[in-house]
Amino acid sequence: MAVLNNGSAPANVEEAVPAATISNAYKNWYRFSRNPTAVIGAVIVLIVISCALFAPWIAPYPEQVDNFVDFRARHLPPSWEHWFGTDNVGRDVLTRVIYGYRISLLLVVVVLGLSIPFGVMLGLMAGYFGGWVEIVIMRLTDIALAIPPLVMALAITAVLSPNLMNAMIAISVLWWTWHTRLIYSITRTLKTQEFVEAAEILGASKFHILFKELLPNCVSAISVKATLDAGFVILIGASLSFLGLGVQPPTPDLGTMVATGADYLPDRWWQSVMPGMAILFAILGFNLLGDGLRDMFDVEDVR
Amino acid sequence: MEFLYFLARRLLWSILVLVGLSIIIFTIARIVPGDPARIALGPLATQEQVAELQAEMGLDQPVHSQYLGYVGGLLQGDLGQSLLTQRSVNEDIGDTFAATFELVVATVIVSMIIGVPAGVMAARNKDGWLDNSSRFIALLGVVTPAFFLAILLQILAGYVLQILPVTNRMPAGIDFQANITGLMVIDTMLRGRFDLTVEALRHLLLPTIALSAATIGQIMRITRSSMIDVSRQDYIEASRAFGIPARIRTFKYMLRPSFVPPLTILGLEFASLIGNAFVVEMVFGWPGMASYGVRTILQKDLNAVMGVVMVSGLFFVFVNLLIDVLVGYVDPRVRIRGTR
Amino acid sequence: MSRPTPLAFGSACALAALMIAAPAMAQSNIVTMNTVQIFGTIDPAKINDYTEYMAAVNLYDGLVTVDEGGNILPQLAESWEVSDDSSVFTFHLNPNATFQDGSPVTADDVVYTVDRLLSINQGPAYLFADVLEPGSVEATDDHTVVFTLSQTFSPFLATMPAVFIVNADLVEENAGDDEGQTYLATNVAGAGPYMLDSWDRGSRMTLTRDENYYGGWHDGAIDEVRWLVTNDEATVRSLAASGELTMTSQYQATETYDAIAAMDGFYLAEEDTAVAFYYKLNTQVPPTDDVHIRRAIACATDYDLIREVILPGGVLSTPLPPLFAEFHNNDIPAPTLDLDCAREEIAQSSYAGGDPIPIVHSYVAGTAFEEEIALLFQATMEALGFEVTLQPEPWNRITELAGEIDTTPNLTQVFFGPTYPSPDSMFYTQYHSNAAGTWASMEWVLSDEVDSLIDAARATADVDEQAEIYRELQALLVEIQPDTFLLTQRVRHAMSDCLTGFQAIPMQSFDYDMYRYTWTCDPNG
Repeated sequence: MAVLNNGSAPANVEEAVPAATISNAYKNWYRFSRNPTAVIGAVIVLIVISCALFAPWIAPYPEQVDNFVDFRARHLPPSWEHWFGTDNVGRDVLTRVIYGYRISLLLVVVVLGLSIPFGVMLGLMAGYFGGWVEIVIMRLTDIALAIPPLVMALAITAVLSPNLMNAMIAISVLWWTWHTRLIYSITRTLKTQEFVEAAEILGASKFHILFKELLPNCVSAISVKATLDAGFVILIGASLSFLGLGVQPPTPDLGTMVATGADYLPDRWWQSVMPGMAILFAILGFNLLGDGLRDMFDVEDVR
Repeated sequence: MEFLYFLARRLLWSILVLVGLSIIIFTIARIVPGDPARIALGPLATQEQVAELQAEMGLDQPVHSQYLGYVGGLLQGDLGQSLLTQRSVNEDIGDTFAATFELVVATVIVSMIIGVPAGVMAARNKDGWLDNSSRFIALLGVVTPAFFLAILLQILAGYVLQILPVTNRMPAGIDFQANITGLMVIDTMLRGRFDLTVEALRHLLLPTIALSAATIGQIMRITRSSMIDVSRQDYIEASRAFGIPARIRTFKYMLRPSFVPPLTILGLEFASLIGNAFVVEMVFGWPGMASYGVRTILQKDLNAVMGVVMVSGLFFVFVNLLIDVLVGYVDPRVRIRGTR
Repeated sequence: MSRPTPLAFGSACALAALMIAAPAMAQSNIVTMNTVQIFGTIDPAKINDYTEYMAAVNLYDGLVTVDEGGNILPQLAESWEVSDDSSVFTFHLNPNATFQDGSPVTADDVVYTVDRLLSINQGPAYLFADVLEPGSVEATDDHTVVFTLSQTFSPFLATMPAVFIVNADLVEENAGDDEGQTYLATNVAGAGPYMLDSWDRGSRMTLTRDENYYGGWHDGAIDEVRWLVTNDEATVRSLAASGELTMTSQYQATETYDAIAAMDGFYLAEEDTAVAFYYKLNTQVPPTDDVHIRRAIACATDYDLIREVILPGGVLSTPLPPLFAEFHNNDIPAPTLDLDCAREEIAQSSYAGGDPIPIVHSYVAGTAFEEEIALLFQATMEALGFEVTLQPEPWNRITELAGEIDTTPNLTQVFFGPTYPSPDSMFYTQYHSNAAGTWASMEWVLSDEVDSLIDAARATADVDEQAEIYRELQALLVEIQPDTFLLTQRVRHAMSDCLTGFQAIPMQSFDYDMYRYTWTCDPNG
């Protein structure tokens, strides 16, 4: 999974294509809507986001989310009343899956909200200033990348105590590196281009060049990457909570539900398979959408 | 000469990464709340017992001398004592690493022998049904969480069809020590126990599939696109013009240069492969370093966690060094361009 | 190999026999049991948890041992005397007793063992922290050893089964610079009925019986004990189905017990134990510092649901499990669910009437039934006007939190069983002020009245007087309600029809002394 977040194969990193400007919204939309996988992705993402936003209205048994047990209704298989069955304390699995998307998306928003600004900033600086700044920043990302991300996140969450907050911190600690690398390679290409040189000759401040000239040209690449990232943040968050290091009960979390349900395999398969499918569904959506956006913005090298 | 220079540079850089890694790991380990000595002694220990062990473990020393002690230990290959097992972490990792290594090697082999040919076929069938379905499968492999795929495989092959074992490396009743190479498949063959080789392979199969799904997809796609790139090169056009048969063209002129991207992607993918090993080993009760890592992480067994993360990093760095050297050897352009 | 066995299995045995060059046993009684955790150490001075004690009980003998009624029985010592004030204990060793290497067990071995235990100061050493010091133990002749306690301690005899005697000569030969800790971590220097055959730390341990065991052997004795480390329910089930497993661990899921018990050739052995399961309420922090809140929790607990649906167990009505029949206060009724009572108690508390009352409920992370109980608690108590925070923690973390009043959660689900077969173990460890600050005493009772009753019982050797004191103590503790008394643990094993001998014993892992088990069928291959 990591490679999807990474720049790309080293052979191509240096030839990153500058982002296309969003010149013609209609043309873009046309191109996007002609791409069936992208549209499917967009629909899935929309469903997932709607679930998260409107959970209390969509979920069949919103009262069963927390502070609810009904031991007479435990382990019920999927039926008309409970499409996804019930879990070990008698809660409706579908309801908890829908609410589970809230946690997943919260994780995405916080992790990307923390790591993108930080990563982009470092990437811009490394790419534009070069020299020692570049060496220090890029070697730091290399070191950070030498640790398998899930392993690092596991170690950090374990060392702090396992909960949603710490899971967010643990994932963010690593995530910025991917953005740093991406923006670095784009910036390095851009800085030799005329509009940057022109701004330099006109005596524009470094701040101006970084944030007014270079950054806007990275926006489409960042948004594609962020969309693809969303899926992988969900994935890594689910892996953490699957191992018991993420969100704690009774908060409905998809990874935790898969792990708890796994105790009851194979006879009560729905308790882990349904939330697992829900995770897959969300990741699939973000991936398809990201691919579609990449084609639309024509930023081939963002993975 | 030029190659030696390249090699030296890569080696030096790897060492630098490892030093950085050791600092990061040590820093993380020092922010642990809680007292490893108390954990080690068990719940009913007295305060004096705790203080005594703290001194023994050097926990009463200032931080910088603890770090120096840690690095000193690392250089001598000493990772300290595990609180969970009461043994040296070296021994624990030594005992468990081979199982993880076997799983990872199997995954790499499977990924390459499935991913590369599938990518070649997809490229030859560009935009045909084969290409499209391989794209879909690759996508599924990438978006399915490894732990979920592992569970699905367990349900399907282990419970529903009941054709494959779902846990461990060997049937529980069999007392076979893989103590030659540590790799069950190899050791059973070396001892002439081919019946057990079959068992070892059967146990290896499901975890390998679960672990390789993502990598296969990546390799398939990258092979496909690099094949397509290469096929547009002049010399391929020329060979086509000369009437060299398509099969030879594909395998002799296109595949060899196309091997470089799958190798590099394997290096990058290796990080997530090791990460996924942690969940996959847990699901399949695979007695490897990764499941040892999860157990010790859940118990806050500090030295063991540091050891496992360090060895994971070392493994990753080493594999990438190996791949870089391999790629540099095959493709001289990389040497000139230097490190990435 | 009289019985057809799966090919691979049979040939594996052949290979094992080949490698260790041992004469192949024609027929033997083999017990294969799974454990849910590895064996950390087998050094009797460092053993702590259930697997470690389980190994030690089989590999080593103590001066005395204990039976299912908690009675102390002779083992290496054939008799003993206790001074009137319970401070001097004299043991007379069995002159025929030998270690596994054939050398006789002497009083010097006992002295060496105790000194080593105190010097390493881990494992069972905490039992003797206040009563023994170096020099407390003397060998008066080859077969007589005298313990002089630094204070009177009537339950001392009950703690002695935890002292496993090591072969002093053998350990000294291999002492290294750590009193043989390295050596004994993987080697045995004991007098127990079983010898260590092989040990693969991550996966298995095999013991074989010592033909020359000084205690002799009975018909149908177990020849070989194999422990397989696996906590995977599916594996346990498939091992049982293929006949490779003869006894499960006591920690399987209900579904697994049911599935195996339904197989041919298996039965379910169930025993109520002296292990009690409590909500331990921190009596020093709000809101559980108010006795009315504590009583409200007791009234709002659905004991029947917990015992019948979530975790099968026996009735617990006082801090002391009814297995201690002699000392149990039978006048106290068992608690029942009564929500009206809960509401009344809340109304009487000083936290009534205002905002939702915040309360923290802690339990061991990853334990399915504890989580279910926690969710039940949360649902019930929030309906009664509480604001419940669930705090699942790894066990290590709980033991740390228990170290101080302020970090101890309001409520923690804890199992506590006697570490030695005396009510003193239940009361002193959980409720005495001197023992405060561990996971076993998360109530922080800190009551002079309770302390003095416990001390009084310790100071007398008269059992009737002790019983009187303990009954009074139970009544007092039910009044203070520092715990909710949920249940006594029911230990369960799915066992082969051929195997008998399992009995719950009120001391950790002594129920797995394989010397006491019998194989009732023809020997298996």
